Amino acid sequence: MPKKNKNKRQDETYSDDDEGEELEGVPQASKRNVEEKGEQSTPKDQYGAFDFRTQLELRDDYSHRPLWIAPNGHIFLESYSPVYQHAKDFLITIAEPVCRPEFIHEYKLTAYSLYAAVSVGMQTHDIIEYLRRLCKTTLPLGICEFIQSCTLSYGKVKLVLKKNRYYVESDYPDVIQRLIKHKAIQECMLRPEDGVFSSEKQKSQAIMFTSHQAQMAGGTDITNGKAEGEETSKDSKNGGTVVPEDINDLYEKLDKADDEEDDEKASHTVSFEVNQDRIEQLQKTCIGLDFPLLAEYDFKNDTVNESIKIDLKPSAVLRPYQEKSLRKMFGNGRARSGIIVLPCGAGKSLVGVTACCTVNKKALVLCNSSVSVEQWKQQFKMWSTATDDMICRFTSDAKDKPFNASILVTTYAMISHNQKRAYEAEQTMNWLKEQEWGIMVLDEVHTIPAKMFRRVLTIVQSHCKLGLTATLVREDDKIADLNFLIGPKLYEANWLELQKDGYIAKVQCAEVWCPMTPEFYREYLNGKVSDQKIKLLCGMNPNKFRTCEFLIKYHENRNDKIIVFIDEVFALIHYAKTMQKMYICGKTNQKERMTIIQNFKLNPKVNTIFFSRVADTSFDIPEANVLIEISSQGGSRRQEAQRLGRILRAKKGAVAENYNAFFYALLSQDTREMGYSRKRQSFLINQGYAYRVITPSQLIGMDEEQLHYQTKEEQVHLLEQILAASESDMYEEGVLVDRAGGSHRRVGNMSSMSGADDSVYGEKRRGSKKEHLHYLFKKFRS
Amino acid sequence: MLSIGDKTLTCKTLLEYLKSLPRDTLDTLYQHPATCLAVFRELPELSRHFIFRVLFVKRPIPQVTIAYWIPPPEPGRDVGDIAILHRQSVQVLMDMCIWHDVKDGFGNPAIKLSDTFRENFKIATLGGGKPWTMSAALESDPHHRDIEFLEKYAMDRWESVLQFLVQPKQGATAISRDAMRTLLHAGLIESDESENPNMTITSAGFQFLLLDTASQVWFFILKYLETVTERGLSLVECLTFLFKLSFSTLGKDYSMEGMDNKLLTFLQHLREFGLVYLRKRSSGRFYPTRLALNITAGENKDLIDAPKHGNLIIETNYRVYAHTTSELQIALLNIFTEIEGRFPDMIVASITRTSVRSAFQKGISAEQIISFLRQHCHPQMYKQQTVIPITVADQIRLWELERERLEITEGVLYKDFMSVHDFSLLSNFASSKGVLIYSDEKQRTMVVTKKGHPSIKQFWKEQSK
Repeated sequence: MPKKNKNKRQDETYSDDDEGEELEGVPQASKRNVEEKGEQSTPKDQYGAFDFRTQLELRDDYSHRPLWIAPNGHIFLESYSPVYQHAKDFLITIAEPVCRPEFIHEYKLTAYSLYAAVSVGMQTHDIIEYLRRLCKTTLPLGICEFIQSCTLSYGKVKLVLKKNRYYVESDYPDVIQRLIKHKAIQECMLRPEDGVFSSEKQKSQAIMFTSHQAQMAGGTDITNGKAEGEETSKDSKNGGTVVPEDINDLYEKLDKADDEEDDEKASHTVSFEVNQDRIEQLQKTCIGLDFPLLAEYDFKNDTVNESIKIDLKPSAVLRPYQEKSLRKMFGNGRARSGIIVLPCGAGKSLVGVTACCTVNKKALVLCNSSVSVEQWKQQFKMWSTATDDMICRFTSDAKDKPFNASILVTTYAMISHNQKRAYEAEQTMNWLKEQEWGIMVLDEVHTIPAKMFRRVLTIVQSHCKLGLTATLVREDDKIADLNFLIGPKLYEANWLELQKDGYIAKVQCAEVWCPMTPEFYREYLNGKVSDQKIKLLCGMNPNKFRTCEFLIKYHENRNDKIIVFIDEVFALIHYAKTMQKMYICGKTNQKERMTIIQNFKLNPKVNTIFFSRVADTSFDIPEANVLIEISSQGGSRRQEAQRLGRILRAKKGAVAENYNAFFYALLSQDTREMGYSRKRQSFLINQGYAYRVITPSQLIGMDEEQLHYQTKEEQVHLLEQILAASESDMYEEGVLVDRAGGSHRRVGNMSSMSGADDSVYGEKRRGSKKEHLHYLFKKFRS
Repeated sequence: MLSIGDKTLTCKTLLEYLKSLPRDTLDTLYQHPATCLAVFRELPELSRHFIFRVLFVKRPIPQVTIAYWIPPPEPGRDVGDIAILHRQSVQVLMDMCIWHDVKDGFGNPAIKLSDTFRENFKIATLGGGKPWTMSAALESDPHHRDIEFLEKYAMDRWESVLQFLVQPKQGATAISRDAMRTLLHAGLIESDESENPNMTITSAGFQFLLLDTASQVWFFILKYLETVTERGLSLVECLTFLFKLSFSTLGKDYSMEGMDNKLLTFLQHLREFGLVYLRKRSSGRFYPTRLALNITAGENKDLIDAPKHGNLIIETNYRVYAHTTSELQIALLNIFTEIEGRFPDMIVASITRTSVRSAFQKGISAEQIISFLRQHCHPQMYKQQTVIPITVADQIRLWELERERLEITEGVLYKDFMSVHDFSLLSNFASSKGVLIYSDEKQRTMVVTKKGHPSIKQFWKEQSK
């Protein structure tokens, strides 16, 4: 591919974030980087590879142990080891998964992952001890030091909200003593003269998720687990593979650790009460001292806030991984704040609903589009006993009366919107600010820039926060900020395993190479057209069009339901109209969208919908099982994963086939799309997905099909249309995330904003009516 | 045998090799029952069937009769395919000089089995004649070696040859001059002409390294055989001995009695390569190793080759994990992967575009890489249907194709036309002759093939007059 500057233009930025500000108040320890340190101290061999051999000593029974740990913090786990299950559970708690394909999984120890481990109750010495037992070699010294430095100070102090009074609590008297000697902290204490008081630690029993069946499911899960354990131990005896004894001991300990930290050790907790107004200052000081406060909510003993009396319906059955993730959240009888990562389609909403039911206090659900607001409401009605009048929607379209609602569902934009609101909305906002929310559920938490988040968090008070997402990646790696804004990552599911167990669809991923036609390629190389047009040229390459049409015909004949993604609205409309299919883009209004989706679900004649970027996230289309991606946004890994998520919901009755869902990414050969695809795919490949490459010669039967753009004349005509398209024709959809407060308004293409922005827009139209202003002031408005 | 044409190594089978020998050499070879049996084993099934049919028929058999000897029809099998199979099976026998073209009593074209082959094949299958296998040692060996020892010995010897190939500078003392000569002769290494020759591995050498052991030994031995006459040994004797060796039993010792000096030298060479084990030159007995047993099997080695436990794990994310401590294997992996980290018992490597392309530049093909990966797969990998993830194999092939996308055609550029008319005149003429490669009307430039250039030039001259 020729090197041209224009090809570089703006492509890398999928506006995953828009702020460059330094985040203050991040603990010192989190800046430690074991990777660099480990790599500096490691010699290289003749091939330029890190040679860990001098630092590690192989143990005698290494073949029975499943781990390798490199001094740079990378951990490799054999998935075929007999002790895999336990090692996996342990690793996912203490380390970040890097890639988890079929045989050998790679994890990485980071300061954040260790922080997360501590916050769910792991102890420094336990972490080191378990690692030592599982490792094939001796533990690298640097790793032990790293774990100690990261964990010793973490998780020792908690900020607990009890009966609406804030306490700083710790099981370690010396830590508390150290803290109260600090002047800034003394200022925050409510009664500094009282000092600290110690109390018997309350024996908290484990939470049972309230649905009866959930308990049953949980119960059977445990017994299953035991039965499996027995089987494996039997197997190991018969099969001659010996599991070293210390690993066997470990099983029991690990199982316990799952529920709660050692009971015997800390039967006394020391605490002091804090001045509520000074919480913020306290938190900052503690972080500065390297003792970040863990926020926990003792909701069972909260008598001030009323219980909202909702429960899971008996029909709601939690899957084992959903229960596991919730157990991490409610592990010690209190609610921890944190993030749960589950693949799209794996039932994130049920986890959210269950969490709300468990806390059973006023709940606030934040999502990123008004469509998903509707979907959340439905989820609540489906899984819980909550009735219509208990759930309040707060969007620009639907403003239910909130005043006796116990669950409020709204969008991020709605809350953080900082311009003048309509009277009604203002009232609701005021009410919302006054409330003391028991739990705040943050859907698709990865999409929100930290700045917007901060604003939301300052406006709304809540006892605990639960973040839900499928793809905890950002191109700018700002994801780490979430650790301190919400809480640590509590659980991350393994996509491949969920797929094997049938909880999500088995997807065959493929990239289809479509050669550029000579005319299009000449224009592409010429470089005389705008970046927008370059995108159109790649996206509307006649060969791509034909391939897409062929695939649609092929899958419609198989009775599949197909969704097609095209980023550029011009191309979207052209594709859809030429093929006579329905399409949804930013312009499409809420009602029409719902109608189209309903038709797609129920009408056997509507089997294909074209989508613009609006449907990337949280558009629930469970019927779809084929996804065709015509164009995409640069090299965004997240977009790829989110789109895949649209077809991940488990399909019924398709067990016989190897794959029951198909993901095609159509790429114009020799264009920049090829380069992006490598990057886009990296996330999914690390989750164990494999992309097959389909070259034109492998599309058998395409020549016989009656397809558009067969002749050169038609193709040239298409090219002319593209080149003639005016700027306003080919506007791009507003980017979902950069509309914090709606400040990015571009005059003239208002309707181009994606559906997710409706809320903001509805408000503005009424509030500021800018369209009627004189055009001369245009440039001051943007 | 492998040949180095077009820089790719292709594997010749035993039959192909024998076919390339002079006819009388073949006939001499057939004087030994071991050869006959070895050749017979390698023949296609139908050909073997033919031999048995005519084994006891001394008269010529009309070709018309032979045409009837077709396998019974099977449902779903095309008659045309059977005809092709029949023709091929006859042809092989002709090529191997087992069958001769003759005329029968009526002057019709007929077939006759080679007499030498008949006699000796009968001995091999039915017994009689002189004993043709190697004679076992009479007394039991006080220093008996078990199979395990022999396996290790053979692999050690063989790996030292490979190790030398990978790092010619370090391993120069590890292998004998004879082995080095063979490597040079085979074109696997080259040396500059200086006093202390500096050895470097060639493209063929890299390809050789990625072959499976049986093919490597076979290739190496054939190259060695090409040089035996220079060393004063007889090709037929050596070959016959090799065939005998291939019928021996692993873990058994054989007597060296009755072997002449030439044959003893040959045995000594085989010992250096690891095909036989001798405790001492004077011990009077030798043990064949697995390498020798496999020798004639060529590509059909799966019949004999013991299933090897590989240690490579190849993931869909292009990672390669090798449970190995062998420097040789790591060096081999380094040819086409990027090695990232080394643990005491495992290395972590990645297959990347760069690493694979650098292997291509050494003359290695995608198929060779894939077959190397397949041979050394960890047992866990066999749980999958395709063993090697399809995506990885596909991608390696695609990377190879990528290099072949540019086609270079020599041509002559015409430019600076004075008018559009001139330009279109000439370009139309060129395209009507089929010699136009490229033309751009806006720039008024065109390229014609080198062959077409004189005629276009001529045409232009006539036009401009």
